[in-house]
Amino acid sequence: MSKFLDKGAFLPPSDYKLLPLKFDRLSHGQYVITNFVGEYLVIADDDLHNLIAHTLTPSAAIYPDLLAKHFVYAPGQQAPLQLLALKARTKYARLANFTNLHIFVVTLRCDHSCPYCQVSRQSEDRAAFDMTTEVADKAIEFVFRSPSPAIKVEFQGGEPLLNFEMVKYVVRGTKEKNKVFQRDLQFVIATTLSLLTDEILAFCAEHDVYLSSSLDGPEDLHNANRPRPGRDSHQKFVAGLEKARGALGYDRISALMTTTDKSLPRVKEIIDEYLRLGFGGIFLRALSPYGFAIKTKKFASYDTAEWLNFYKEGLAYIIELNRAGIPFVEYYASIILTKMLTPADPGFVDLMSPSGAGIAAIVFNYDGAVYPSDESRMLAEMDDYKFRLGHLLENSYEEIILSDVLMDALETTYTGSVPMCADCAFEPYCGADPVYHYATQGDMVGRKPESPFCHRNMEVFKHLIELMRDDAEVRRIFYGWANNC
Amino acid sequence: MTLPVLLDFDSQIYSGDALQKAAYRCIDRITVQLERNGSLLSCRIESNLGVDGYDFAQAVEEFQKNVLDYQLRERIRVETEPLRNLVLGIAFSRTGLQGGE
Repeated sequence: MSKFLDKGAFLPPSDYKLLPLKFDRLSHGQYVITNFVGEYLVIADDDLHNLIAHTLTPSAAIYPDLLAKHFVYAPGQQAPLQLLALKARTKYARLANFTNLHIFVVTLRCDHSCPYCQVSRQSEDRAAFDMTTEVADKAIEFVFRSPSPAIKVEFQGGEPLLNFEMVKYVVRGTKEKNKVFQRDLQFVIATTLSLLTDEILAFCAEHDVYLSSSLDGPEDLHNANRPRPGRDSHQKFVAGLEKARGALGYDRISALMTTTDKSLPRVKEIIDEYLRLGFGGIFLRALSPYGFAIKTKKFASYDTAEWLNFYKEGLAYIIELNRAGIPFVEYYASIILTKMLTPADPGFVDLMSPSGAGIAAIVFNYDGAVYPSDESRMLAEMDDYKFRLGHLLENSYEEIILSDVLMDALETTYTGSVPMCADCAFEPYCGADPVYHYATQGDMVGRKPESPFCHRNMEVFKHLIELMRDDAEVRRIFYGWANNC
Repeated sequence: MTLPVLLDFDSQIYSGDALQKAAYRCIDRITVQLERNGSLLSCRIESNLGVDGYDFAQAVEEFQKNVLDYQLRERIRVETEPLRNLVLGIAFSRTGLQGGE
């Protein structure tokens, strides 16, 4: 008698049970199905209907993928449920660590006067727009109330280098306190690089400080977007970049770009400028509907469809670069692809649910006010204090973190229960962003069919999935982006 | 001005929930009034200001497809909700986040 079961015993069972899934339409009569841990499959119309009607046969070509990606399981099996639970736990692991990113707005003063800037002030009045040591001390205490084992302290402005004494004070104070708390600390200064000096670089080298800068494209575009006295913003950026790379190391300086109406026809030139200056990728960002971007009508100067064309053209160009053997990443796509192709959540605040506001990032304004995100302090600079959580000198950690303002924002905007989001196949990749919807629709939840945030992101999600569906080489490139390799 | 479109759905086949969700998804282009008439769910579909002709027809077609989609989604949700709760229960048990563990 044989020791082995008959081969019929290893055939897939003819019956199956559905696991939780959502679906949405793609082009070419196909659907995408996703589960709550973010796995997805592209499926034909007929297969989807058969799947749901329990008439799909195990011999269907898609059946093994449905099993492997936890859309169905055989009755009696326990492993698929355990695996799905493990993936859910991995996906939400970040929540238990609570706030990682702590933003110190050390000054609102700036040497630039960018028309889309949210907050900067052209002022010599240090007392009016600089953070005081009293506020900084309280903010440092606040940082260490977070249970997060990794703490990132980011300095923003204005131009933080205009109050570099406060940057030094906070870095030294945080490191001193960390001798007791032993967290994994990281410091970042968001700067235009225009005011960089040898002294500043020496301090950054000594304390392992990263620099995050801004580059909007070729010289004429960058200078038009980022005016400063002398019209030399780009020149200053390039000089600062070279100097900083020499002092700190090549990978210690990153750059972000902002898309204005002037950028729209020039995406390839913008990408080429990033390549020319030795960056390994670019974040093709849309303009935020806050602050001076609204006052100067910059936000309304292009619509979502125009931005999507810009984005898709840029992404296509970047893919061509990769095909030609030039490794280059589009970072917004890479964040989303990490959610689609791995169990990890990259923790990008705009694409988190519950919203990352306050619980993934928190902002200490120069005047001591605390906000749940950079965008909400920008609203406050327009005299809208909707998201002001409290004040460092007046309120305790508990009063600020448990404030009704924050709790309401997190609870009411959770995408698992918001109209349209709750049923959306792309919900595992998307986020709540209460501040955006409040700023654009006057309501934290917002009506999603009318939301540029929803329209933009749904289109990007679909586009990425369709690109991978249609081209194996793109799929290979995207897997590399999702896994940082 | 585009004339309203009237559509009837058999309530034995389609739920009010699915119709409401489908209507909500098209809220940027059309406004749907839902009424129960015996065993029928009647929809009066009007175009939003500035939505005319082809765009309106497209939105109505989209609405009808959405009704089918949301009806299917409801079926999946009813069938899989206990499993979803079970899996999330397993995922967040023994995390050390609850007191007394």
